[in-house]
Amino acid sequence: MGDLFTTVSNWLNGILAEAGIPPEAAEWIFAVGRAFLLGVSGLLLVVFLIWFERKVVARMQDRIGPNRVGPYGLFQTLADMLKLVLKEDMVPPQADKILFHLAPVLAVIGVVGLWAVIPLAATAYGVDLNVGVLYLAATGTLGTLGILMAGWSSRNKFALLGAFRTVAQLVSYSVPAMLAMLVPVMLSGTMSLAGIVAAQDGFWFGVAAPLAALVFLIASLAEVARAPFELLEAESEIVAGFHVEYSGIRFGMFFAAEFLHAFTIGALLAVLFLGGWRGPGAAEFPTLGALYFAAKSFAGYFLLVWVRATLPRIRIDQMLDFCWKVLTPAMIVLIGALVLVNRALAGTSMWVRNGALLGVNVLVAAGVISLLSRSQSQSHAGAHGRAPGKGAQPCALAGMGDEAEAAS
Amino acid sequence: MNLGERFPQGVVRDERPGYSGWIVDSSLLPNVAQTLRREEGFDYLSSVTGVDYLPEDLFETVYHVYRTGGGPGEIIKVRTPRGRPVLPSLTSIYPGAEFQEREIWDLFGIQFDGHPDLRRILLWEGFSGHPLRKDWREPMYEEETKPFGARWPEGRRNGPPDRAFTRPADALAPGGWEADDDRALYAALENEAGGRPEALQTEFLMVNLGPQHPSTHGVFRVAALLDGETVVNLKPVMGYLHRCHEKIGERNTFPGNIPFTDRLDYLTSLSNNFGYVLAVETLMGIRPPERAEYLRVILAELTRIVSHLWSIGFLLNDLGAFFTPALYAIEERELVVDIFEAVTGSRMMCNFFRFGGLARDIDAGTVEAIRALVEERLPGKVDQLDAYLTGNEIVQARCAGVGILPREKALAYSAAGPVLRASGVPYDVRKAEPYSVYDRFEWDVACRGGCDVYDRYLVRMDEIRQSIRIIRQALRALPAGPVQTGKPQFQPRVPPGEAYGRVEGPKGELGFYVVSTGRPNPWRYHVRAPSFINLTGMAEMCRGGKVADVVAVLGSIDIILGETDR
Repeated sequence: MGDLFTTVSNWLNGILAEAGIPPEAAEWIFAVGRAFLLGVSGLLLVVFLIWFERKVVARMQDRIGPNRVGPYGLFQTLADMLKLVLKEDMVPPQADKILFHLAPVLAVIGVVGLWAVIPLAATAYGVDLNVGVLYLAATGTLGTLGILMAGWSSRNKFALLGAFRTVAQLVSYSVPAMLAMLVPVMLSGTMSLAGIVAAQDGFWFGVAAPLAALVFLIASLAEVARAPFELLEAESEIVAGFHVEYSGIRFGMFFAAEFLHAFTIGALLAVLFLGGWRGPGAAEFPTLGALYFAAKSFAGYFLLVWVRATLPRIRIDQMLDFCWKVLTPAMIVLIGALVLVNRALAGTSMWVRNGALLGVNVLVAAGVISLLSRSQSQSHAGAHGRAPGKGAQPCALAGMGDEAEAAS
Repeated sequence: MNLGERFPQGVVRDERPGYSGWIVDSSLLPNVAQTLRREEGFDYLSSVTGVDYLPEDLFETVYHVYRTGGGPGEIIKVRTPRGRPVLPSLTSIYPGAEFQEREIWDLFGIQFDGHPDLRRILLWEGFSGHPLRKDWREPMYEEETKPFGARWPEGRRNGPPDRAFTRPADALAPGGWEADDDRALYAALENEAGGRPEALQTEFLMVNLGPQHPSTHGVFRVAALLDGETVVNLKPVMGYLHRCHEKIGERNTFPGNIPFTDRLDYLTSLSNNFGYVLAVETLMGIRPPERAEYLRVILAELTRIVSHLWSIGFLLNDLGAFFTPALYAIEERELVVDIFEAVTGSRMMCNFFRFGGLARDIDAGTVEAIRALVEERLPGKVDQLDAYLTGNEIVQARCAGVGILPREKALAYSAAGPVLRASGVPYDVRKAEPYSVYDRFEWDVACRGGCDVYDRYLVRMDEIRQSIRIIRQALRALPAGPVQTGKPQFQPRVPPGEAYGRVEGPKGELGFYVVSTGRPNPWRYHVRAPSFINLTGMAEMCRGGKVADVVAVLGSIDIILGETDR
């Protein structure tokens, strides 16, 4: 079997060398080719992702989901895309034209760009940046900028409300997301994503620091604005939020970016906390590693879809409260504790160290949960007590109930 | 209580045959209302409507007031000459009159002095005339009442043009009127809000949620004044689905209105039938046979279950739950609707009640199907919905303490149904003034004191359980026998008089005020629509909340635009 990726690249290198292209130019062609391949396959993946999400949500809702176009409805998304492409491309007359046209492009770039540094297998990645995590943070913000521009430039009140929320939500949740990403960086001692995966030999960071993984997942849900944090485009409140004025393929770009971003969160979760391509036999056969990576990413994505199909949306003030009063302090405490423990047990065996890290995570999580439940019972006084079965029973109308009973 | 003794000048008993209540002089109206509300305990203004007595050349405004403790109500009527119809507004005594007085102004042109915001409500500002006046004729006017004459009486067209077809040149936009972009509405919003935001030197944001909006449950509009995300003030704007229900109802014959009521709240057609049929049966002085009474109760309670399931599902949708709870709730609704199909032949527009009974009997198999549904399927499924939704943290965070309508305000705004009962008022027409055979069953009025969205949801949950309880008892006691008094009538004789038939519909108190002059058509046909009147308190519930709360509140009021706009 061997290493598919290395074989292919060697073969292509051979072709270029035979054609008499100097090695520097060949490297450039290679880089462009890789970027092209990653971008195109990422966007093609969206076709499948949309089908996957629709099918999963349908099953959770006791429906069948798309099943008309192609086997199991697999080509439904292609038909939908065709429709989107053929639709009239409308620009509101009052819109800020440049920003309006730029916004969906930025949104897509912000997501596709992330894939440049994600290691798909031991030998397959766009580029192994030594500041990979920093790059993720910076590129992710580009998408936020796109959303903000879309909301601002549309000259629509709903879009503007969506832009308000973008500023509040995406910027706020960057903080706990960054802090959570700091944990694997700290544990592995590198910012390179390939390095982080390499450091998870034996113990996944998700096992050593499950709380950080959870906070990363929650903050990322908010970063990609998916349920229960889809406030930017809250359909039942502000119709479609930032992209309310977009139609046709421009809307399609936001749509594709959103789905790909959600899957990217699954991929990042896999890379940062679930060992990336690691698995039995993956080190010897990178092709197998790519399969492991895909499976882990889809597991993460499935989690996102599951949450979307089951949870209602939270309100903007609650969303901000949760970020600034729960996630951020919890992560700061957790990082502080992890630093101390990791430092103190530097020389000990992997098992002792990871066990201690896990213990710290559990302790912090327990502390957060107990604080939360205490504050909740204070703020929503009675909400729990009002659940049926306990507390308020249906009350009979005074004086009238007796008559009714007598008559029956 | 004898209002006539209390107010010797200006209050006389309504002595017309078939009528009841008191005729009050318009100058005394606020005093009489004050007395009724503060001293006599008539704390609930059920309905306000007008009647145009063209032959006597006067308008009558009819107020129905009740005690929430139960018992019969009082009817007061105020007469104004058609030439100068001005009345004192009752909004300061019964704030629930606000929208209803606007409706009367809109449709009858009766002015209310002291009303805070007297604008048209169902029609647009530029509409020509006041259509419920008997001398107002629509552009396509054919005849005063149905059945209309044949269009081709002798096998050919009745002369060119096709009958008397008059359309005044300014019918749709009377002379001089220009669209003003709702300036009056926005001005009223800002006036009530009073001033600019204080903390920062910023401006309010005026947002129209609707009429095209995913969670307004139809073509409904909320004009909201926002300070960032916080709602400063809002006004519901309705009428986009106005179908001249009452005007057409007055042209229709009495039985012709039964299918017409289906279209009010199109989810609960059987409850709507019930209210109208009760009103006309009161006029006719008949009662349906026992079996029909029991079947009516069973069908009305099934309707309540259908409506509440829908409402709970879509409340969760409004909270952003992406259809999952809604689809599970709709699954159960479908089963009930299957029963409607088996019984009435139609799933939504059931048109099944008749004066003095029902259209058809129901067969044993269907009875068995209902029994299986309420005994085996529904209780478990309701518990399941309850288990998944009620304890959910996000549902609690979004609903508990949101959209507060305190007890006094709920009463003052004439809120009805689950909205009123979630505010701690155990007022249910089925218990307060039992109609049909509701007094024979053992059940409780679902009532909670949280005054918020969460308790409105819980009250609906409780009511589904209580409805199941009633249906079980009704099925057990279902007597044999006919389902129709006498032979079915195509054209029943309805004696002159007035009647107010009210039932506890799923959305709240649904009333039908019918005036007959002895002819085949009602002289006045008014619907007291709970979806419409419950909106009176909406601004109160939403002020100070967030935009997202507006949607939750709207979902918890549970409006159906077919009924709101009529």
